[in-house]
Amino acid sequence: MKKLRLQFADTMLELGPHDPKLVVMVGDISHGILQPFAKACPGRYYNVGICEPTIVNMAAGISKSGLIPVVHTIAPFIIERAYEQIKLDFGYQNLPINLISVGGAFDYSQLGCSHHCYTDVSLISHFARGRIFYPGSPLEFDLLFKEAYAQNTINYFKLPEVPHGVEFQPSQIKMGKGIRVREGRDLTLVSIGTQLKNAVSASETLQSQGLSCEVLYFPTLKPFDSDLVRESVRKTKRVLVIEELSAHDGVFNLVLRATAGREGIQYEQIAIPDFVHGYGTYEDLCKRLGFCVEGILQRAKVWFP
Amino acid sequence: MVTRAREGHIPSSFSIVDVVHHLYAKVLSYDAKNPQWPDRDFFILSKGHGCAGLYVVLEKFGFISKADLENYSQPGGILGGHPDVTCVPGVEASTGSLGHGFPTAVGLALGLRIQNRKNRVFALLGDGECNEGTIWESALVAAKQQLGNLVAIIDLNGSAAQILPVDPLVEKWKAFGWEAQEIDGHSAADLERVFSTLHLSPVGAPRAVIARTLKGKGVAMLEGHGMWHHKIPNDEELRSILKELS
Repeated sequence: MKKLRLQFADTMLELGPHDPKLVVMVGDISHGILQPFAKACPGRYYNVGICEPTIVNMAAGISKSGLIPVVHTIAPFIIERAYEQIKLDFGYQNLPINLISVGGAFDYSQLGCSHHCYTDVSLISHFARGRIFYPGSPLEFDLLFKEAYAQNTINYFKLPEVPHGVEFQPSQIKMGKGIRVREGRDLTLVSIGTQLKNAVSASETLQSQGLSCEVLYFPTLKPFDSDLVRESVRKTKRVLVIEELSAHDGVFNLVLRATAGREGIQYEQIAIPDFVHGYGTYEDLCKRLGFCVEGILQRAKVWFP
Repeated sequence: MVTRAREGHIPSSFSIVDVVHHLYAKVLSYDAKNPQWPDRDFFILSKGHGCAGLYVVLEKFGFISKADLENYSQPGGILGGHPDVTCVPGVEASTGSLGHGFPTAVGLALGLRIQNRKNRVFALLGDGECNEGTIWESALVAAKQQLGNLVAIIDLNGSAAQILPVDPLVEKWKAFGWEAQEIDGHSAADLERVFSTLHLSPVGAPRAVIARTLKGKGVAMLEGHGMWHHKIPNDEELRSILKELS
């Protein structure tokens, strides 16, 4: 499956010549793969520099001039470092922007915590005009970006390095809609991003053990498809959220909100409790944190020992 | 208005009001009855706490009313202690957190040029604001992109010298790739000379005008640095200030 970052470049190249308002600004990242866009859309591509708050802040001026800014760099720098710029220059001023990150949560596994980002989804969720997309496949990015990019919203696209590998039909991908990837009745697995792959594999193992597992997947986190969660847990009464996000505020909280007031539901979470120290491959860190089939099976033993 | 609202930065507003007035009187193109006129020049007050100096000029040139001034920082009013683009006609950016308005101006100048529009962009910064890193990041970007449609005016009222000195500013802005010159920010002759000869064009070195000013200019009691930065005058002090200004 094509990398999300390459799809980002391809989508910009497809849209750019037809939409003269589209302006792409990067912080010295993805420079090579965006050259086709730069050539096709002269004067609308800028490798601005290593100054993320300024890039985001400048994008407010670009937006104010009537253009549509797309700002791209690594998640901790575009969201956490430039958060006041997002808050004041776009939130307060009611301006639109498209923020495209790579690297979160710990895709830059060998570079350490400085390049990790676990809070981005939470931070953007505080804006009423915030839209949060976590596409785990190229088709998802392409369709969701085209649906959202020209709206008067603060759009955040979090691109994982490793696609989940599951193929969807275009009709399944809509802003604000989750996807029921597998139907079941004993347990609901809620997954986002790359972790869909592990959720599907774990559900197959659980099936072979006689447990019927429902797998939900959410390419959009704001607006969140609460209805899909409610429909599922009404049947299963058990929900395990697998999210490469801070354990303190992420999809688990969205699931709690979606099911608030409903009795008899049991919740579990696999998430990131604190800084992910140490190095290795992305898969190495996943394994350590429980983002793997074994981790999901282990957690499910709470209910099915 | 500041006394009534019990809110405002009087000396910081007095240091810029001559510059702001000159811009609206003689430099900027605008239509006060149609503040969103697409061909207007843009003025961004990056040192948002000096907004009282902007509000009175916006009122004088017809963007807002006397009633707006009277409702400054009152419930239902549109004018607050920092300017809000979402509700104040003529305000181009919501500033207040220092270091935001200028990068917005840089992006705006770039965005206008991308569209081959001839509008010019003027940003007024505080010298204390020049402590912010985003100012210098943006200065680098503007020079690299040769934003000849952009003017930065730095209100050199000596605030930075009280904390983290930034002078000599002319040399600093030149070192960052700008054409820079210093003027007396309270001299009508200097303001006329520099702004009538800027001759901006879409591509070229951006321009910095270092306006040497006096905080609290015009009222001896307020001039300089100290307790008046964010102090509200009592009735007696207000009478004294108004008497001196008249």
